[in-house]
Formats: sequence, structure tokens, C-alpha cells
Amino acid sequence: MSVLDRKLRRDMMSSWVLLLAITSIITVGVAEYVAFGSAYANLTEAKRRYYAQCRMADFSIDLKKVPTAELAPVAELPGVAAVRSRIRFNATVALEGVPRPLNGMVLSLPDRREPVIDDIVLRSGGYFTDRRQNEVIVNDRFARTHNLQPGDWIHLVLNNRRQELFVVGTAVSSEFVYLLGPGAIIPDPEHYGVFYIKQTYAEDVFDFDGAANQLLGLLAPELRERPGGVLQRAERMLSPYGVFITTPLVDQASNKYLSQEIDGLRMFAVFMPTIFLTVAALVLNVLLSRLAEQQRTVVGTLKAIGYSDPQVFFHFLKFALAIGILGGLLGCVLGYYLAALMNIAYRGTFEFPELNNHFYLGLHSTGMLISVLCAVLGSIHGTRAVLKLRPAEAMRPKPPRQGGAVLLEHVGWFWTRLSSGWRMVLRSIVRSRMRTAAGVFAAAMGAAVLVAGFMMIEATVYLIDFQFRWIQRSDIELTLKDERGIDALAEAARLPGVDRAEPTLNVACTFINGLHRKKGGITGLTHDARLTVPHDRAARPIRIPSAGLVMSRKLAEILHLKRGDTVLVQTIKGLRRTYRVPVVEIADGYLGTAVYADINYLSRLIGEELAVSGVQLATDRKAKHTAALWRELKRLPALEAVNSRADMIESINETLIKHMNIFIGMIVIFAGVIFFGSILNASLVSLAERTRELATLRVLGYGPWQIGSLMLRESLIVTLIGTVLGMPIGYMLTVGMARMYDSEMFRFPVVSSPGTYIWTIMLAVAFALVAHLVVQRTIHRMDWLEALQAKE
Amino acid sequence: MIETIVNADHVLLRLEHVDKVFQMGQLAVKALSDVSLTIRQGEFLVMTGPSGSGKSTILNIVGGLDSVTAGEVWFRQRRMTAFTSSELTRYRRDTVGFIFQFYNLVPNLSAEENVMVSTELSSDPMDVVEALQLVGLDERRHHFPSQLSGGEQQRVAIARALAKNPALLLCDEPTGALDFSTGKRVLRMLVDLNRQLGKTIVLITHNSAIAPIADRVVRLRSGQVVEIHDNPEPVPPEEITW
Ligand SMILES: Nc1ncnc2c1ncn2[C@@H]1O[C@H](COP(=O)(O)OP(=O)(O)OP(=O)(O)O)[C@@H](O)[C@H]1O
Ligand SMILES: [Mg+2]
Repeated sequence: MSVLDRKLRRDMMSSWVLLLAITSIITVGVAEYVAFGSAYANLTEAKRRYYAQCRMADFSIDLKKVPTAELAPVAELPGVAAVRSRIRFNATVALEGVPRPLNGMVLSLPDRREPVIDDIVLRSGGYFTDRRQNEVIVNDRFARTHNLQPGDWIHLVLNNRRQELFVVGTAVSSEFVYLLGPGAIIPDPEHYGVFYIKQTYAEDVFDFDGAANQLLGLLAPELRERPGGVLQRAERMLSPYGVFITTPLVDQASNKYLSQEIDGLRMFAVFMPTIFLTVAALVLNVLLSRLAEQQRTVVGTLKAIGYSDPQVFFHFLKFALAIGILGGLLGCVLGYYLAALMNIAYRGTFEFPELNNHFYLGLHSTGMLISVLCAVLGSIHGTRAVLKLRPAEAMRPKPPRQGGAVLLEHVGWFWTRLSSGWRMVLRSIVRSRMRTAAGVFAAAMGAAVLVAGFMMIEATVYLIDFQFRWIQRSDIELTLKDERGIDALAEAARLPGVDRAEPTLNVACTFINGLHRKKGGITGLTHDARLTVPHDRAARPIRIPSAGLVMSRKLAEILHLKRGDTVLVQTIKGLRRTYRVPVVEIADGYLGTAVYADINYLSRLIGEELAVSGVQLATDRKAKHTAALWRELKRLPALEAVNSRADMIESINETLIKHMNIFIGMIVIFAGVIFFGSILNASLVSLAERTRELATLRVLGYGPWQIGSLMLRESLIVTLIGTVLGMPIGYMLTVGMARMYDSEMFRFPVVSSPGTYIWTIMLAVAFALVAHLVVQRTIHRMDWLEALQAKE
Repeated sequence: MIETIVNADHVLLRLEHVDKVFQMGQLAVKALSDVSLTIRQGEFLVMTGPSGSGKSTILNIVGGLDSVTAGEVWFRQRRMTAFTSSELTRYRRDTVGFIFQFYNLVPNLSAEENVMVSTELSSDPMDVVEALQLVGLDERRHHFPSQLSGGEQQRVAIARALAKNPALLLCDEPTGALDFSTGKRVLRMLVDLNRQLGKTIVLITHNSAIAPIADRVVRLRSGQVVEIHDNPEPVPPEEITW
């Protein structure tokens, strides 16, 4: 090792605290890059493999009922590579030992194993056998949650009849990577499952001989990106059979959530490291400027002895390179393990046959490279000024800084009221412009990360509140198999423990406004409905008008409608007529694209007196009543789905809130690293620069705590300014994120309570105080006499 | 004033009508004005003059540490004022040994390591311990500058300059911070280097008592050469006193 390297090593050892602070910022930046990048690659690769393995459909068309023989022309459409039809129904599930009825989706599969579109991957047991008709393959997660195994019997209500089915296997499928039941916002494997039954058995129990109600298809590769045209033609061909909805892969719920997550990861992989590495580069710049300044004479001497500019530059660069390489390495390791953690979390959210955390050499190398690059960039600027000096100049002490009055001093009435301590603090802040700028920027980024993180949490809490406390207020929601009359309501009202029952009616339809069309549905409610209450933007309840629609803002945007406009509504079931209907109110909400109307009005639209397709219940929540109600419901065959608000909220709390706590923890730690690292750096550099000045104060009788208080005031001011500036940035980040995640299924609210900002400030101050502890320790240990005697 | 031209082969360095102006904001400080001077191969040259007269400035220019504002500097047959920065670096590395007025040791390197800083650069270095022996500090070679007295530090700086075996030694007040006897020892060393190894030596001092040991004495005042005095019979350092 050359002597200069020895010098470097000693330089580094004497400022290890600072190195650690900066390295940790870089480490976090690189770790984020590697972690998000790995998670992105893990999910993308798993998705690609899985979709290929299951022959994931490029589109699906849901219909009322179509003879399979009529599907041949669709298969022959140019651009359609293959089709398959299946029978798909919702069903309730009764399990031994589970008090409430559960929900599920029943799908048909060929009796004999053959590769099909939207195939399954068996996880345990086997495929259907010839031994019995009533065999079922259960989706793996539901089976595991309820400890179901091949050989068990379960009960499904199929076509109003309770059927006993024999479990032959458990499986997963690429269509249900993210399995959401109707009305759910997160997967709930405890209460929602997928059940595959034999094609012939399905035709039999649903009276669907030679018919199907869902068409799945593959497209020619060149059409996958823009399937619109071909799907329109297919839909037109099939329209006599009552097309409910045509769903290209991009709109398929599971795919959409998964793709959104993947896109989000890619954005985070760029965005978060950029924040951290920019801060790191700035902080490093401050440190190296100081280091080079401090070693001015050494630089001059080395040059005088005959070291070339590049040699001297490389000497300082090594300092930065060491930080860059160390930060890069630690970041890669930490990133790899973070990705592994994320992978575990994703295995809980997404259901893949296999989701592994891989080591991506390219990604790690890039992470390393970025880290080194950031360190180099951060150091070039800082050292250049000193390095370009001629040796003779460098060896002379730096000319005294222009110690002119800072702007504030001209505000006489203000300045004269300040104590000398405050004056020193303010002068120091204003004069070391670069350091202050770096500190403000770092604090701003730290605060932005905190605010954005807290706002995410608030958004989730608000959304759950909005959805499950304000809009959906029923304890239990029943979806009926078929439309019924008013008698169904009376029947439901008589169930044990029911305090209030309100009817609902769901009508599938197409909304048309000029060139804009959209398939969807209208929910009929009574005009005095209390169990589903749409709300407007200001969170005020909206009364259901006796005529016309209350439309969700998202759908209104898609259709380019505003309050007072009219829209064409074409019903799909029943008399397929078209009506012109006014949009009376716009409702806000974060899930789906609901449209509400008065149930009587809606019934008349579809040509009936009063139709009921669901009932909402407010119940007595006493355990014994609930148990009785569940027992009764389990016995009712006419139900398609039963949803319990309490269960939904519980499952949200269990998964979402748990994830959220981890998320908060990470955000706070990451932001803390930024705050801590930059504050520590600024204070220690300032301390080193002003050793003489502060030593003089010591001689004048200042104690270490008083000196410390000068430093603390300085860092608090810088931190607070940065934090306040960072808050709107955090807010804007959240707005950007909300835009990015804005979809028909899901939008997330931009809400920020004072708590978000108060917490951010409190944390910023806390980080500043913790960093100051280290600074204070340094102050206590300083040898003032030596500082005074040493020549600058 | 123009000196008598000596045999060009013996001229190591030549300054011709050199001006040096320091710009400090609005203020221009003229440190050198119209300085012409020859440094001969193998001579022991002493520069004296009051503080601020431009001694260090000349030494910096001669050592390739600073540029001139006007005029020319020649190193042997080559025009130094036209040197690129890498030529300057090469010149400093291969030809010059600098002993600074304020020692300029690297604080977190030991005495020995400070000497190595220059030997590592040189193609034909002296042994580090030998160099330290020359200045009588081989015993202290593991000590850091902060553990050495001013004089000892100066001796390390001398060892550092010697160790890379330069043809030209530039010494800025090497004895300024030393006591009488140590100062004399340093001077003896320099004289030996000059007489025995043929090193060209330029030594700055404001102490005119030292002047008699030189072959020639240059006197500066206010940035100008006011006198060049040949000294056919230099006095050994032991015989001078101050
Ligand atoms: N970097 C600089 N900026 C401005 N003026 C300078 C600079 N360096 C030297 N000077 C001025 O140039 C003049 C000559 O300086 P120089 O250092 O050469 O003097 P010196 O003869 O070595 O003095 P001393 O015996 O005190 O070392 C002085 O007036 C000095 O103030
Ligand atoms: Mg001088």
C-alpha cells in the first residue's frame, strides 16, 4: 500500500462517523434499487412463466348463455388464435366447522386432463377421475386456509341445490394470482375460493347442456396490444346471447392488480434510489469540499513534490470510491434480503405456483455502478475547487471568506434583538450556502418520504372507512341467485337477529354517451336506503333520486358525463331496451364504478313491478343471534353470495394493517437515515470548519453544552426549513402516486390530516436530536487548546 | 540589471524580466517587477531581503509552483513559461526538491512516511532511512509531525526533499525556525550536498549573517533584484554566527 493510501486510510478512520452516515444513505439508496428491481424482476418473470404455463386467456366474454356450437365463428375470426368456453357461476360454500356460509366461484374444466386456456397447476392430489361425477378441485389457498385435503367432502350450493363434492386436488391458476371476491378490496382466502368441477357435471347441474356462459380466447401475438377491434366483432357476433362484459387481459382483475404492482415496483426502483442517491451525492459533496479545503496545504505540497493533478485527484476520488463501493456492496446485500422479504410478502398476497427471489447479476452490477457513480459525482464538485489551484496558491492559507454582513443583518430591528448566539447561528447558516442547501434538500426529501408514506396509510384507513363505514353500512349482504319479488325482502327480514332489511337490485347494462360506451351495472336502492349510502366529494350523503342515476365520478369521467347530462342505458338481461336517463348526482368512492338508482325506478326500466336481486341486513351483533343467522343462511339455497362486513374488515385488518406497519417502519427508518446522515454530516463538518471560532468561545467561558446548543440550533433551523419545504413535495408525490394507481377498480384517496404533518415534524426533530447526540459527544471530546494553537 | 553572461552550459535556470502580480479582488499586489536572474548549475545561491520583498515568490516560480505574470523563465534550454501542466509536474518531480518555509508535512503520516511520499515518486530515490539519518532523525522515524518539534519537522522536510535525489534544492528559510546549532547543522548538510554531490541550491533567508556561506548572494527589495554579489571564497557554516 502506498503512503498516500495509508494517509487515506487514516483520514477515513478519523472521520468514520461521517463515512458511516453517508455510506448508510447510499446503502439505503442502492438497497432500494436492488430490492425493488429484484422484486420487479421476480414478479415479471414469475408472471411470464405462469401465464405461459396456464395459457392465460387474452380475453374473456361473459354471456348469459350460449350454445357451444355457436362459438365456432368466433374462433375463426382473424386474429383469434384459440377459444374455449366454460361454465362459470358464483356459489355459496358450506364447510364443516365453519359457522358462516362462504363464497366461491365455480368453473368448469374438461373431464379429462388436456391443456386448455386458463389451465390450472395442481398443487396436491390429482385431476378429475372417472370414479365419480361430483369431483372438485379447490384453489390451493382456500384449501390450505380451511385445511381441506384431497379426500375431503365439501358442500356447494349449485343452481339452488345443495351438492356434496369430493375434493380430488388443489390447484392454482394464472387467472387468480390476485383473487378478489366480489366487493372485496384485498384477497380473502378464508371466505372466498375457486372451485373447478367437471364440464359434464357442470352442464348437468346448471342445466347448461351443450352451452356455456363464458368464452376465453387467445389472440394472435400482434393483436394482444390492441385487441379492441377483434373483441368488438366477437361481441357483436355473440350479442344475441346476452353479452354482459368483454374483458381483455389488461382489464382482467387479477392481471390488472399484478401488473399495477409490477409497474409500481419499476417506478419505485427508479424513484426512491434517485432521492437517496441525490441526497448522498450532495452530502458527500459537502464532506469532500471540507476535506479538500482542510487538506489544501497537503494538496499544494503533494503537487510541489511532483504529484500530478490526476494523481492527487485520484487520491481524493479513492475516498469517494471507498464510500461508493462500500455503500454499493452493503446496498446489494441489504437489497437482496429486502427483496427476499418482499418476496415473502408477495407470496402472501399473490398466488403463484412458484415465486422465488433470484440474484440478478446485472441489477446488482448496475446498483454498484450507480453507487460508485453517485460517490464520484458527489466528490468531483467538492474537490475540484481545491485541485485546480496552483501548488503555490494551495499552500497558502485560504483567503478569509468574505465575512460581509448577511442579508438579515440589514433588518435592523430584527438583528439587534438577537442574542449573539443566534447571530452566530444565522451567520453560519447563511454563509455556508452549499452546506445549508444540501441540508435543506436532504431534510426536504426525508420529509417528502415521510409525508408520502403517512399519506399512503391515511389513504388506506380513509378508504376503508369511506367504503365500510359510510357507503356500505349493512352488516350482511345477501346476493340472490335470481331476481325475486318483494317477498324475498320479507323473507330476509324474518331471519333471526335481523333489525333491518333493505332490498337491492343489480342490473347489468351498457352506458352510452355518444362515442363513449362502457359496460357496467346499476344498483337499485330504496329512496330511504340506510344500508348503502353513496357520498359526494365532500363526504356528504346523497339521497337516491326518485328518477335518474347517481353515478360514480370515475364512470362519469370515462363516459365524459357531468351532473345534469343524460346517458343512454341499454339493459343486457330481460327486455334489451335502451333508455335515455339523466345523471342526477355524481358520487365519490374509491372502489369500482358503482351507479345507483331508485329500486322502483330501476325495476320499471327493466319492465318489472319491483325486482329484488339482493338484500342488505342490519343485524343484532350479539353472538347468539349471529350464530342463529349463520345457521339459517347456510341452509338457504337461493343465495349466490353472502358477505359480512365484519369479516371483510377483519381480513383487511389482518393483512393490510400488518403490511402497513412494516411499511411504516421501513419508511421511517429510510427517512431517518436521510435525516440522521445529512444532519450529522452538516454538523460535524461545520464543527471542523469552525473549530477555531468555537475554541475561542470555549476560552471566553462557553461550556460544551452552550457550544452544542449553537450547533443544534443551526441544524434544527436547516432541518425544519427543509421539512416544511418537503411537505408539499410529499403531498405532490402522493397525488402523483394516486394518479398512477387510478383505475376503474381502485383509486386511492389523497387525504392528509394534521397528524401526518405533525408526525413528520416530530420525527424530523427527533432525528435531529439523535444526530446531535453524536455531535455533542464530539464537542465534549474536542481538544480546544490544540485547536487554538494549530495553525489553519 | 543584466548579469554578465556565463557559459550557457552552466546555466540551470534563467529568469528574464519576470513580473508577478497578485490580484486580490480589486487590489493588485506587485510581488516581482522586472526580475532577471540566472541560477548556475552546481552553485549555492542565497537570496536575502526584507519580509515581503518577493523571495518566496521567486522560489515558487523557479520551482514550477507558480506562474509568472510577464517575462520568461528558462530551464536549461527549455522555456519553462511554456510548460504544460504535465511538463511542470515532471519538472517538479524529477528536478526540484523543495524545503518549505512552514515544513508542510502531511500531518497523519509518520516522519518516515512523509519521506516516502517523495521517494515513491522518484525513479532514483535515496533510501528512506538513510535520508533520515542524514538529518539525524532515523531514531524518530515512526513519530508523527505533531510529536516532533519545529526543528525536527524541518529536518524531516529536508529529508523529504533530499530523498528523491533532485538536481535542484530550493530551501525557503530552512533555518528560520531552528535554534542556532541545529540551524548550523542544517546548513552544513546543505553545503555538503552542494560540494560533494553537486546539487544546485537556492536558499532563502532574511538573515544576512548566513550569506557568506554562498557562492553568490542575491538581494531583493520590493520585488526587485537590488544586488548580486559573487563570493569567491565561501565561509564554512561553522564559522558564521548570528
Ligand atoms: N497569494 C498572494 N496574494 C497576494 N499577495 C501575495 C501573495 N503571495 C505573496 N503576496 C505578496 O507578494 C509580496 C512578496 O511576497 P513573498 O511571499 O514573496 O515575500 P517574502 O520575501 O518571501 O517574505 P517573507 O520573508 O516574509 O517570507 C508580498 O507583498 C506579499 O504580500
Ligand atoms: Mg517567504
